[in-house]
Amino acid sequence: MSARPHETAPDLSVAVTQLMKGVVYRDTHEVAWRHLLALQPQVRDHVAVVGLQVVVDDAEGYAFLRSRPDSGDGDEPAIPRLIARRQLSLHLSILLALLRKRLAEFDARAADTRLVLTRAQIIDTVTVFMSNTKSDARVVDQIDANIAKAVDLGFLRRMGDAEGSVEVRRILKAFVDAQWLSDFDARLAAYAQEFADPDGGGGNE
Amino acid sequence: MEFDDLEALHRNSAAWRLLRADNAPMILSFLASVFLDTNTGAVAAPEITGRLDDTLAVLNERHPVARYPRTAKEYLDEWSKPEVGWLRRYYPPGSDVVHFDATPAVVKALGWASSLVAQPFVGTESRLYIAVDLLRQMAFGAEEDAEARLGELYRRRSEIDAEIARVQSGDIAVMDPAAQRDRYQQFSTTARGLLVDFREVEANFRALDRQLRERVALWDGSKGALLDEVLGDRSSIADSDEGRSFHAFYDFLLSERRQREFAELLAAVQALPAIAETDPRMRRVHYDWLDAAARTQATVRQLSEQLRRFLDDQVWLENRRVMDILRSIETHALRLRGRSDVDIVTAIDGVVPAIALPMERPLYRLRAKAALDSTPTGTGGADVDVSALFEQVYVDPAPLREHVVRALARRSQVMLGDLLAERPVERGLAELVAYLSLHGPEFEIVFDEAYQEHVEWVDEGGVRRLATLPRVTFLRSAELAAR
Repeated sequence: MSARPHETAPDLSVAVTQLMKGVVYRDTHEVAWRHLLALQPQVRDHVAVVGLQVVVDDAEGYAFLRSRPDSGDGDEPAIPRLIARRQLSLHLSILLALLRKRLAEFDARAADTRLVLTRAQIIDTVTVFMSNTKSDARVVDQIDANIAKAVDLGFLRRMGDAEGSVEVRRILKAFVDAQWLSDFDARLAAYAQEFADPDGGGGNE
Repeated sequence: MEFDDLEALHRNSAAWRLLRADNAPMILSFLASVFLDTNTGAVAAPEITGRLDDTLAVLNERHPVARYPRTAKEYLDEWSKPEVGWLRRYYPPGSDVVHFDATPAVVKALGWASSLVAQPFVGTESRLYIAVDLLRQMAFGAEEDAEARLGELYRRRSEIDAEIARVQSGDIAVMDPAAQRDRYQQFSTTARGLLVDFREVEANFRALDRQLRERVALWDGSKGALLDEVLGDRSSIADSDEGRSFHAFYDFLLSERRQREFAELLAAVQALPAIAETDPRMRRVHYDWLDAAARTQATVRQLSEQLRRFLDDQVWLENRRVMDILRSIETHALRLRGRSDVDIVTAIDGVVPAIALPMERPLYRLRAKAALDSTPTGTGGADVDVSALFEQVYVDPAPLREHVVRALARRSQVMLGDLLAERPVERGLAELVAYLSLHGPEFEIVFDEAYQEHVEWVDEGGVRRLATLPRVTFLRSAELAAR
């Protein structure tokens, strides 16, 4: 593919199939991105048939599909979910939350586009929140496993260098949003409350 | 400068820190050779690491005990730490490789160090002229009174008239060589200084951008007030003194007429006999300026784009809320960290529909098994004559040599193409190669890679063959001796 793709007429198939395969980024999927922008309304109608909606963030330069929320009125038959909901363990959730924080801080501080963290930086950030009863090596293994899961989820991308650097993909902002974080916070708060409570504190079975 | 100012600089200035570093000569010479001498922008990590490795190896060889024991990577990591600040380390858009760029601190430290070298000749006259000229520009440019302006213009005209009269009468004042050298030195210092200043301009733009971001991030007022503030400041980079001066400069550079004029003047000056040692870099300094300015321009563009994204008010509000929630999450998570029995499970949507395409997988295909016989086959007898393998085509070089010598009897040199035209190739490529490997006391073969020669022949099968090779010339040896 040449660097400057030919300006062909926008093609719905190109736009939709690339979306079905994964997040479409402006910089890595130049062609599909162009088709998608030109055909947003058509794409929207098309994926609505299978219960999806398309989210395009022009400023950040990415687009992805998400399940259409239930309309709630019960008139329409429920459409099976095409996009799986992934279960996240406590520590993976914390990792994602902390990555989101790094991203916000990064945006407030520097004008670079890409946040790249080394494995050591991530471990430094997360270790504080890990259980302190386990040996260090096990904690590090667990963090490594969580990094791998975050890569699978599409929120991190390995840079492939010797330091195990990963790029925090900006798509993280769309998923780990204020809503998700406040739900997570509420559950943490409930637990913290329970343990702080002297009655429930030592006596959990 | 007061004591406190100097004390603060001594503590905080990256340039001063660099000068104080024990390794300063190595660091400065290396960074200068990579970035400044060649007017290079960001350099990818593998390249700069390799070059530093080479540099360190060469320097370490000079001493019995290695003076620079750390690896290139360790040095680079050290130099690019924010608190050290000699290199900027970042990932450019569209690349997965870390890039390094020198900061203005390096330029400053280097400028100071090189100013210590005693100059063979310090021109003062040209600088006085420049100072007076600048004053005149300002006084004239700021003058609003039409009378005063006209007065100045008339004065200039009478000066020019007087000079015309002088030249007409044959009195031509030629600038003496010392004055020429004075001005040339002044010019090249300014030109080079300008080149490195772009780095600082760029750094200042980044600092402006950072200040603005900080202000937005810490903003406590209402959304409307923020938008006012933000809209008022949006173009602060372009509207700063620095930004306006830079844009004026860039416009000047982009004007073709001015560029041509500049190039012509430069060429004329370089040709002056008084300017003995011209700096080769000066000859194309305007292209270097253009490169450096374009890099700065690209930075400004990127900064404003990023800033627009950051200032998107929805993003801004979300970011603030997120930071608040995160503080609370951290507090709670810390309180829970000793517990292993917290069974919180959250859920998040996948970023992509889970689509399995089983029919896309290839069907099972039976593979033919290759029987493996692992018993050694034994080597053949040593009495096999293998020479037949090498002599499938045999070209006798003697007649070819004779042909060359005969041709050279008539002229001092002959090209391979002409030789082949006289005596067509019979044995194909092998014969062509035989020509190239001919040797003898009578002639010498010269290959000229700059030109190509095409040779044609028809092989045994009747197929026309064409070979392309560097131009080959056979020279008579007497000719060689005569040269």
